[in-house]
Amino acid sequence: MIKYIARRLVQAIPTVFGVTIFTFLIISLAPGGPTAALLLDPNLSSRDRENARRALGLDDPLPVQYLRWLIGDFWWQYDTDGDGTGDKWGERKGVLLGEFGYSIPNRRPVLQLFGERLGATLELGVASLLFGLLLGVPIGIIAATARGSLFDNITRILAVVVNSVPIFWLGLILILIFGSRLGVLPMGSRCPTALQGCPPLFQRLEYILLPMIVLGAGGVAGYSRYLRASMLDVIGQDYIRTAKSKGLRQRRVWFTHGARNALIPLATFLGPAITNIWAGAFITEQIFSWPGIGFLTFQSINAQDFAMLMAVSVFSAIATIFGFLLSDILYALIDPRIRFS
Amino acid sequence: MKNVIKLGFLGMALALAAAALLPAATPIVAQEDGGIIIEGTFGAGPNQFNPLLCNDTACNRIVGLLFPGLTGTDPATATFKAGAPGSLAKEWSVSEDLKVVTYKLRDDAKWSDGTPITTKDIMYAWEMIQNDESGSPFTFVRGRVASVEAPDDYTLVVTLNEGSCDYLWDASIPGISPSHLFADVKPAELKDNAFSTTPSVGFGPFKFVEFRAGEQTSLAGNELYTDAAEGKVKPAGFIYKVVPDQTVMIEQFLAGETNLLDSPAVNRMADIKAAGDAGDVQVFSFPGVSWDYIGLNLADPTNPQNGVDENGNPIDQGKHPIFGDVQVRKALALGLDVDAMIKTAVFGEGTRMASNIIPTSWAVNPDLKPIPYNAEEAAKILDEAGWKVGADGIREKDGVRLSFNLMTNAGNTRREAIVTLAKDQLAQIGVEVNVELLDFNLVIERFYSQTYDAFVLGWRSGYPNRPDGTQLFDSSSDIVGSGSNMVSWYNEEWEKLNSDALTLAGCDMDARIKLYQKAQEVFQADLPYIPLFVINGMYAARSNVKGFSPYQAQLLWNVDTWEVLSVE
Repeated sequence: MIKYIARRLVQAIPTVFGVTIFTFLIISLAPGGPTAALLLDPNLSSRDRENARRALGLDDPLPVQYLRWLIGDFWWQYDTDGDGTGDKWGERKGVLLGEFGYSIPNRRPVLQLFGERLGATLELGVASLLFGLLLGVPIGIIAATARGSLFDNITRILAVVVNSVPIFWLGLILILIFGSRLGVLPMGSRCPTALQGCPPLFQRLEYILLPMIVLGAGGVAGYSRYLRASMLDVIGQDYIRTAKSKGLRQRRVWFTHGARNALIPLATFLGPAITNIWAGAFITEQIFSWPGIGFLTFQSINAQDFAMLMAVSVFSAIATIFGFLLSDILYALIDPRIRFS
Repeated sequence: MKNVIKLGFLGMALALAAAALLPAATPIVAQEDGGIIIEGTFGAGPNQFNPLLCNDTACNRIVGLLFPGLTGTDPATATFKAGAPGSLAKEWSVSEDLKVVTYKLRDDAKWSDGTPITTKDIMYAWEMIQNDESGSPFTFVRGRVASVEAPDDYTLVVTLNEGSCDYLWDASIPGISPSHLFADVKPAELKDNAFSTTPSVGFGPFKFVEFRAGEQTSLAGNELYTDAAEGKVKPAGFIYKVVPDQTVMIEQFLAGETNLLDSPAVNRMADIKAAGDAGDVQVFSFPGVSWDYIGLNLADPTNPQNGVDENGNPIDQGKHPIFGDVQVRKALALGLDVDAMIKTAVFGEGTRMASNIIPTSWAVNPDLKPIPYNAEEAAKILDEAGWKVGADGIREKDGVRLSFNLMTNAGNTRREAIVTLAKDQLAQIGVEVNVELLDFNLVIERFYSQTYDAFVLGWRSGYPNRPDGTQLFDSSSDIVGSGSNMVSWYNEEWEKLNSDALTLAGCDMDARIKLYQKAQEVFQADLPYIPLFVINGMYAARSNVKGFSPYQAQLLWNVDTWEVLSVE
């Protein structure tokens, strides 16, 4: 198994590189750039704008900019006095040595900005994953056991509806209904507004409720439909007929013999679930004023913040690769029919 | 399998529990006498508060409340004022050639840790501006300032590259900060410094309490602030709350979750005014500083040229087949119903402009009226100029159809409405407009390349307003690829008035205003732009915020006297 994991990890390296080059090209080829905001000021001269670009190193050729991002410039001497020979060592270590550089509009290290937001994103992500599983799995099982019933039909229709509703719309509507009109839940934010301090999560559950539902709704719909199908597949198997003919009670057949086996394919859902939640967080966090990485990324795209977006794409690529790897490993672990090879 | 799934669930539950317990339960400060101002901010919110590095609206809001500026302003006249509260310069003088500005600083200002605020702090800011490694956003200062010297702790001498009556704008050194805290910080490490997120030492009506990224920034009233108008800072705190979604931000204000609002979207201003009429909120509307216009390429778009050569002599740029004729430009201006545009594009929340100067500027010409909508007069002028209506209803002259491309940035609903209305309105006087909706950056590329016909874009004027038009309309700024006089306007009379106003000996304010006012008349007569409107600004506070009395573009000028009463 270790050999298998190692091989998968090695295979992932070119993928991550490909992602960085691709992202870099997209960001760099988009006209404008992080200094575009200077275009609004009627009193700036063209020389002022050039100065700003040069100070940020945006005037260098693209391959140079990419390499500086990747491997830094600490091994390079700059010619600052213009005499043709280098006289000043570069300061950047590059991404390979763990330095992700500085956000241009925020003028702070990218990793610091990331660190500040990671907790909020994890909190919401784990909560909505749990919400999706804890609600979706039982709904799927019950729907399968009561196939064709009213419950089955309603949940199936609801699943399609929820999957088709855009997240931003659902979020805004929930805020308008529960926050603005009824006034029973806060209109976004992670913590109550106070001069200092944010209480622990169990004291502010009302704040996470709506974003968790919005981000987890797709999961509920997906898991319930998936589990229903998987369950129906399992109960057609011979061993279920055997169990029934042994005279076992209905409930025991369904839940001990049926559901346990129907849950196996769910493991393959875990990898994509991580990516889905990550992607959904971009919009959900924005609408619910949830101070996480999705919100930060959304704003970085608006600002064409090159360093920030590169970091986001690297982390997203790694998270996706690990998510799928985790899925595969889990699947092999819990299903004896699957073997590493 | 059972164990694995159990473990998985257990792991997630543990992670959530850990997340639940992680944030330390610090004591929440109770609301004191003056109450807490809570302002919702739309967008990204601030991410740092180091005055040396801060250059966006969100961090400027906080930095403005925590740190002093070199020069202050008088909100009533919207001009600079010596000795204004919270500023350092108590007086200034300028040399005869307007190049050397000497500031005298007050000697009673102290950072909150007791260290006196001196010219050392300004010299440090200037050092960081000059250093590429510091990441200073104020690189534009390098082009304006030749040198800064500090003969003593309270005298600052700034020498400018070019002397002008705008010396106070040019000589202003931004980023004044407690330099003694940065004595051991290398310029390249400034961006990593913890001061960016914990600006513990300052000089302003508030002091820093807490920053939660993407969430809120909270400040407390500064009891050490010596410039408070009523002896002490009244509000107990100021919370700047990030609400990235505009709809949610306004709902929170209307529900009273926040009590201060700056510049809501124009389509929601009516809701806020309604709440104002109901007595729930106080509303202050004013003509803003962002303005939209139609830019017309006056030169030959097939052969873009700079305005002047290296020696300053004008270069022949040819003429645009349509806009080269001032009569056509006039007719177009008459044929555009700008009031209808304001109604549709900004829900009535716009104020018309007569020229390139915003209505709130100290230099605006109050007697110059915007060109009124008059389609008949427009048609008459075009007839007289030889543009005859052709078989397809579009005018022609010497084989040239009166048809042009009008571009603007796609996705901006305001400008999309403007170009659509312009197309309809001008069609009625026999002018064909081909609307081009392009990506913003593509519009910018094209307009700098000077290969376009016409476009709709906007500028955002600063505060205090700087009426100088050199960058936008002087022939020296007509540089293909980068200059902002991309309409290639060249008007000798206007250039003289503008440069006289800028360099007038003695810089007498009234005399300068007269020159600028005359320049606005010349502008309107020659119309390189068809000025449209400024988008109205709005400030609003809940009815329990006492002391809320803003000026145009000055919301918090007297914030130290505000009180948030506990009942509305």
